[in-house]
Amino acid sequence: MNGPQRTRLVVALALGLLAIVAAVAASCLLGPQPVSLRAALDGVEPDRAILIGLRLPRAVLAALVGFALAGAGTALQALLRNPLAEPFVLGVSGGAALGGTIVLLAAAGLSAVSGPAGALLGAAPPVAFGAVLGAVLSTFLVFGLGRIGGRLVPEAALLVGIVFNAFVAGVITLLKMLAPPDQAARLLYWLMGAIGYESGSTLAVGAVLVFLSIGTLGLLSARLNLLTLGDEEAASLGVDVRRTRALVFFAASAATGAAVALAGMVGFVGLIVPHLVRRLVGPDHRLLLPASALFGAAFLVAADALARLAFLPLGTEPPVGAVTAFLGGPFFLWLLRRQAREHDEAAT
Amino acid sequence: MRAARATLAFAALLVSLVSAPAGAGDLLPVSARGAAAGGATWVGTPPPGGAKRIVTLAPSMTDYLVALGAAGRIVGVTRVDHAPEVADRPRVGGFLDPSPEAVLGLKPDLVLWVTDGGALSAVRKLAELSAGRFAILAIPVITVADVPAAAKLVGEALGDPAGGAALATRLQGSLDRLKAQASGRPRRRVLFVVGRDPLVVAGPGSFPDELLRLAGCDNAVGGSRAWPVYPLELAVASNPDLVIDAAFDEPAAGISRLAAIPAVRRGDVARLPRDDLLRAGPRMIEALGDLEQALARSPAGATPPAGAPPR
Repeated sequence: MNGPQRTRLVVALALGLLAIVAAVAASCLLGPQPVSLRAALDGVEPDRAILIGLRLPRAVLAALVGFALAGAGTALQALLRNPLAEPFVLGVSGGAALGGTIVLLAAAGLSAVSGPAGALLGAAPPVAFGAVLGAVLSTFLVFGLGRIGGRLVPEAALLVGIVFNAFVAGVITLLKMLAPPDQAARLLYWLMGAIGYESGSTLAVGAVLVFLSIGTLGLLSARLNLLTLGDEEAASLGVDVRRTRALVFFAASAATGAAVALAGMVGFVGLIVPHLVRRLVGPDHRLLLPASALFGAAFLVAADALARLAFLPLGTEPPVGAVTAFLGGPFFLWLLRRQAREHDEAAT
Repeated sequence: MRAARATLAFAALLVSLVSAPAGAGDLLPVSARGAAAGGATWVGTPPPGGAKRIVTLAPSMTDYLVALGAAGRIVGVTRVDHAPEVADRPRVGGFLDPSPEAVLGLKPDLVLWVTDGGALSAVRKLAELSAGRFAILAIPVITVADVPAAAKLVGEALGDPAGGAALATRLQGSLDRLKAQASGRPRRRVLFVVGRDPLVVAGPGSFPDELLRLAGCDNAVGGSRAWPVYPLELAVASNPDLVIDAAFDEPAAGISRLAAIPAVRRGDVARLPRDDLLRAGPRMIEALGDLEQALARSPAGATPPAGAPPR
């Protein structure tokens, strides 16, 4: 990386961190209960418990999930060489949700035999493991079936992802029928893509997984640049294409699996954020990947604050997944149309 | 090779994370035992001299406080709570999605919760933040026997154990009456409907199922699920003697949607006037009266049994 590039990286990372700080501050200060920051810092209750005990961990959770999803989305777009690739659209989130669901239901079944064993299996780490495994398997399935004549066809992979999502939704509905009602309610809430109130240990497990997987992607970002040139070009420039791709698959899936285990299926973060950040910092993945992850964190914190505040008069809040889908669905279609237009213009 | 090694290291880390201890869930262990079998849990110590500022996270808990004359101590309820005594109280979110922030904002000294999987993570968060501020009483109401047991627990939390015990005795008395009256009635198969489109019924393990058995009836619904979405065909084939229509949100005339069930065609349908039979709490006393009336109905065309109240 040369001097100007390094400066741009520092500026992009500083801006991303600033965005996170601003979003977390806004999320902590806005809410149904009027609280004072000064009172909270002075230890006055309930201000302190609300700000430090509730809003801050929730903002941290949203930031972790946004960080993971935007980072994974950027990497998947590089692999598929298509800006429409995204963990949710590609069915990676769906696979993770299925993996997590199976572990949760197994835990419910085990509880009937042995309460403590069921509780242990239903805790955060095993659910995260199931989600990561589900994400990895679905990524390999989608990218495997997206190959036609030995070549990865982005449109085919996207279509496989969409069909896989529908399949997973059906399987989860069937599995839900087998769960006891209170488990089914818990499952439904999780799957909707809601930033909830997780314990400190769950956040810690999630953070380790997310930072390791996005960190791995960060280390691979220079090679991602070469992969976007095409497999042959990358190989001729000395990249071990198969190994690199496998590692990127694995890390992006692990990040997605961790995000799903923490907050269910929050869609389109990996689509919206990398696209906007690409406009800001350009296509170099050494900049794009870390900047996307940081802005993804800020984006989801802000989206969660919006979800919390928008329906306040009704005394309820929608899951943040509904907000991101509300923004992301039209964005996806706009990107699709724009791609088609660029394609037409290139043809004429 | 480096990539393969990194992948392996990553997998090893995942496995080690899996074997990590379960963590903060231990603050609020949710028991599979009901309140009658000692399954209730206190987080923190009960407020000395009885709770004065109480948030209830379930309408049935509000009912207990109202029945014990403590409605004035309630400072917050869920938005699904329609008891007139708490119409002006602040709302703290829903039954399945209570807002910990709204609860904290009310500065309670006691939070009453009927253990339910949907609200578990929010209440666990409250439990983490409750230390030194307020207590949480988590009451699992799973079987009919837990209803009087919960009355005792709530009475003790209020500093009114005698009131709680008296309410428990009244609740137990209404259950004993239901059992006693069962002996004078022919055994009947009952289909208990709570939703018509889709058809949702009370199955084995549900609260109405247990009450029906106490009342000397057979539930027409088999299987293993408490609240199944039930195939209409199975409902027809089960050929119940009586259909109890507890779909309160839907107009009474809508039962004609189920006309394929012979009992509905014959008019052997008893509509419950309120949702009290589904609320496992003090309203059970009136609710059991409604159930008695419904079961005392004679089959269409037959002579009413002696002593049956007119409908």
